[in-house]
Amino acid sequence: MTNEQFWRIHEDLTKGRISRRRLLEMTGIGAAAAVLAACTPGSAASPAASSGNGEPTAADWSPPKGVALGDKLYITTWPNYHNPRTIEIFTALTGVKVELNPLGSNEEMLAKLLIGATGWDVLVPTNYTFETYGKKGLLEPLDMVRLPHLDTSRYDQKLLANADYPAGSKTLYGFNKNWGTTGFTYNKKHVSKPMATWKDFFDLARSDYSGKATIHDYQLTSIGNALVYHGYSFNSVDEKELLKAEELLLNVKPHLFAITSDYQPPMRAEDAWMAMTWTNDGAQLHADIPEIEYVIGSDGGEIWSDFFAVVAGAAHREAAYAFLDFMAVPRVQVFDASFHKAPLVDNAAIALQPADVRSNKIGYPDAAQLTKLEFGTAELLTNEARAALWARFKSA
Amino acid sequence: MSGGSAPPPRPAVDGAGRWIDRLFSAHAIALYLFLYVPISLVVLFSFNAGDRTGELRGLSLRWYERALDDPFATGALANSLIVGAWTAVLATTMGTLAALALQRTPKAVRAVFDAITYVAIIIPGIVIGIATLIFFVNLFAWINPQLAAVWAVAGLSGPPKIGTGLHTIVAAHVLFTMAIVTVLVRARLAGMDRSLTEASFDLFATPFRTFVEVTLPQLRPAIIAGALLSFTFSFDDYVIASFVAGPGKPTLPMYIFSSIRRGITPEINAIATMVLTMTAMLLVVVGLIYRRSLRATAAQRAAERLDAEEGAP
Amino acid sequence: MAPTGRRRWRSTIATVLLLLPAGAWYALMLLAPLVILVVFSFGDRAPEGGYLPALTFANYQELPTRSTAFFNALWMATGGTLLCLVVGFPLAYYLATRAGSKRTLLLVLVVVPFWTSFLIRTYAWLTILGNKGIPALLDSLGFGHVVLLNTPFAVMLGIVYNYLPLMVFPLYVSLERLDKRLIEASKDLGAGRWATFRQVTLPLSSAGLLSGVILVFIPIMGEYIIPAMLGGGKVFFIGNALVDLFLQSRNWPFGSAVAIVLILVILVAVTVYLWLGSRGRGTREVSLL
Repeated sequence: MTNEQFWRIHEDLTKGRISRRRLLEMTGIGAAAAVLAACTPGSAASPAASSGNGEPTAADWSPPKGVALGDKLYITTWPNYHNPRTIEIFTALTGVKVELNPLGSNEEMLAKLLIGATGWDVLVPTNYTFETYGKKGLLEPLDMVRLPHLDTSRYDQKLLANADYPAGSKTLYGFNKNWGTTGFTYNKKHVSKPMATWKDFFDLARSDYSGKATIHDYQLTSIGNALVYHGYSFNSVDEKELLKAEELLLNVKPHLFAITSDYQPPMRAEDAWMAMTWTNDGAQLHADIPEIEYVIGSDGGEIWSDFFAVVAGAAHREAAYAFLDFMAVPRVQVFDASFHKAPLVDNAAIALQPADVRSNKIGYPDAAQLTKLEFGTAELLTNEARAALWARFKSA
Repeated sequence: MSGGSAPPPRPAVDGAGRWIDRLFSAHAIALYLFLYVPISLVVLFSFNAGDRTGELRGLSLRWYERALDDPFATGALANSLIVGAWTAVLATTMGTLAALALQRTPKAVRAVFDAITYVAIIIPGIVIGIATLIFFVNLFAWINPQLAAVWAVAGLSGPPKIGTGLHTIVAAHVLFTMAIVTVLVRARLAGMDRSLTEASFDLFATPFRTFVEVTLPQLRPAIIAGALLSFTFSFDDYVIASFVAGPGKPTLPMYIFSSIRRGITPEINAIATMVLTMTAMLLVVVGLIYRRSLRATAAQRAAERLDAEEGAP
Repeated sequence: MAPTGRRRWRSTIATVLLLLPAGAWYALMLLAPLVILVVFSFGDRAPEGGYLPALTFANYQELPTRSTAFFNALWMATGGTLLCLVVGFPLAYYLATRAGSKRTLLLVLVVVPFWTSFLIRTYAWLTILGNKGIPALLDSLGFGHVVLLNTPFAVMLGIVYNYLPLMVFPLYVSLERLDKRLIEASKDLGAGRWATFRQVTLPLSSAGLLSGVILVFIPIMGEYIIPAMLGGGKVFFIGNALVDLFLQSRNWPFGSAVAIVLILVILVAVTVYLWLGSRGRGTREVSLL
């Protein structure tokens, strides 16, 4: 199945009807109020009291009966990827306190898992990790009995396909949290040249906007997009093509403002004018600062999907499943996404999103914009040549 | 030169002297500003009513409430206090004992031990973190099946499983801090009346008492300094702890580091300010104690100097 | 009075017992990990990363690829140490010449920053050096636009900021111990300020200078947080290369080789330095503090 086909299915399924009541609940004002309320101490008290602002309540989800959930849960995820209020509501409903541990990249996650003894319960790995994690036995196959609210038939099958191991089997190691693209943001206030492709990005980064661009501190995306610059596949592991990518990166390096995956602060402070960016960060930046535009490279790049997964031997297994089940509830997904702004995969949830969210081109771009994008392959995560290239590039 | 107590330094009275003195003062003021501007900002933003560090939107104490209410923040603080205390106690005890023993060992043993101490101090924290983590992982992978086997033979159920945790952080911290304590105490011992130390050993009948009453008081400044250094190092260490920490037991610096990645909120500033206040108060207390003992040793030193000078030809 | 054989025996046992805890700790926590590092450094990278047993020198042959990071650290450590020394010495001297209670207060004020979280006080500089901090101030004063963040300057600033107290403290201790009468004598003998400083103050404070330099130089050589925070991944130290090799590209054998060479280089540098320093002071003992 091509990306085009996937997107068509996706669009068809999102055109479900929404009730008027739901629409009223889903107003942006409601979501903003919820975020504000989240910052007031003691507001976590009773989630059942307020449901008018889209906050999930006990009516949407309640913890499994007769199961001791414990009092703690450790989630390892990415920065700016969870609504703090969602977490507070989960804590209020279950008594389980959640610690979010944001990492910089899937590579870092893999490195720590390989060393062992992480103490993590829930992970948010990306599509290309499951083959490696499955082979290494780092995750546990999802126990569907513990996930009564999960209905994968509502999910886009193309995006779901990557969480199985062995590939093609029925054993699922995760279900979708969000999906997105790896594009770039630029600040219109400072950047006047047209920015449409990765070629534009890298060329302007080393000429007109020298010292003002950031790229990810992640071989997979940074090398991938440098490959796209040369017209190669984002997924290439070809020796010659990688050499060309390395040349480009080394050439651009002295002109970069930073090599970092935490690029929101410099973009907000206008230290950086353009940044390699993931959808959710792009949407957040654009929402707060309208001058910051998010672009999907018309010459290619990455489409990705992140999953919720349970770590093998997790110390807080029941709490982990409770959290996953909670996050499978459409209303919870919608509320969570109102904060982090990454697009959803669950069509039942997408149907509940406000119209302005569903028509937002950063979160839900036109199908045509996605045709050239590629899902990262499992090979990318562990390929030695790419890892060595990146380590060389950074210490050059 | 006349003996007796040292006269105070003569104040510079001439014009150039005054000018130089002012230059020194200006330099000091500039440095204090340099040291304190960032810290003042940290403290200022801890009272921020807004959500982001960097934009002050009125003053409030809400981040303090929030920090004290956050079980992960307080848990991390508790972990750091535990790790710091254990590190200080173990490093000071073992480092001091080793320093005492080294007074009496053959030269070859001392040379080897000194070399090891030296290496322990010199190795960068990042290398210690990586090396000890790999060591622990291998050690536990080897030891846990053994334990399981022993338990099976003994017919017991539920064999213990050893893993990383606060104890592994302490173990790695003690390595460096113990070496520092040994060096500090040895420096102090070198300046001490040797015959007293030897007596404390030779009078084996009541060695403990001699030690407590003769050696220990003389070593006290070095031991206190060593314990303080050990605690400070351990409490603030991120590099080593981030490698060898166990599941679900982050220390405060680790919690702070992940908070920075989460997008820093004034909650971290509130925690930092509270820690700063706590340590400042602790410093005052220690300072008062230290000053008392300093006065005592100063008097003693003056007496010794007087003796030495009178004895000299 | 020669000790009897029995007493000597008991004394030996006591010595061994006193030495045992520290010795065991070093053996377990220092020597064993170092042995593992050495073994790993001759191994291969496992397919998905990690260690695969082997006997190869490839990792050592690959070391030159990290020379930029290594020399970055070396230059910044040398420069940072010198800067701390130049800036810290006058402060230490100033402190040592203050009267009692004022001195205590000023001294405590040098130490207090050290008691706020290293991470937070470094992070504070991000705001100060960022576009809306000092650069905005300079811009409004008409100095034009400057970029401070993610430059070697920012990293150097962070280094001096964090390590200055470690330099000031030992310097202060040795200056405070310095017998003021010697300075008086020098002046009485007609020596100028500069001559007195060069011929009396400096040599007599060399112990503090020696340990201050060591205390600052070693940790900077292994530093990786400051360059990561204030260097934006562009000012890359050998410590960053190490973290990268273990926590990103997962090449443990190469990382082990880098670590071992780093230890050796620091060891040699510090030993030579201490040896030269002790020769200059005319003492035999080589001491760290």
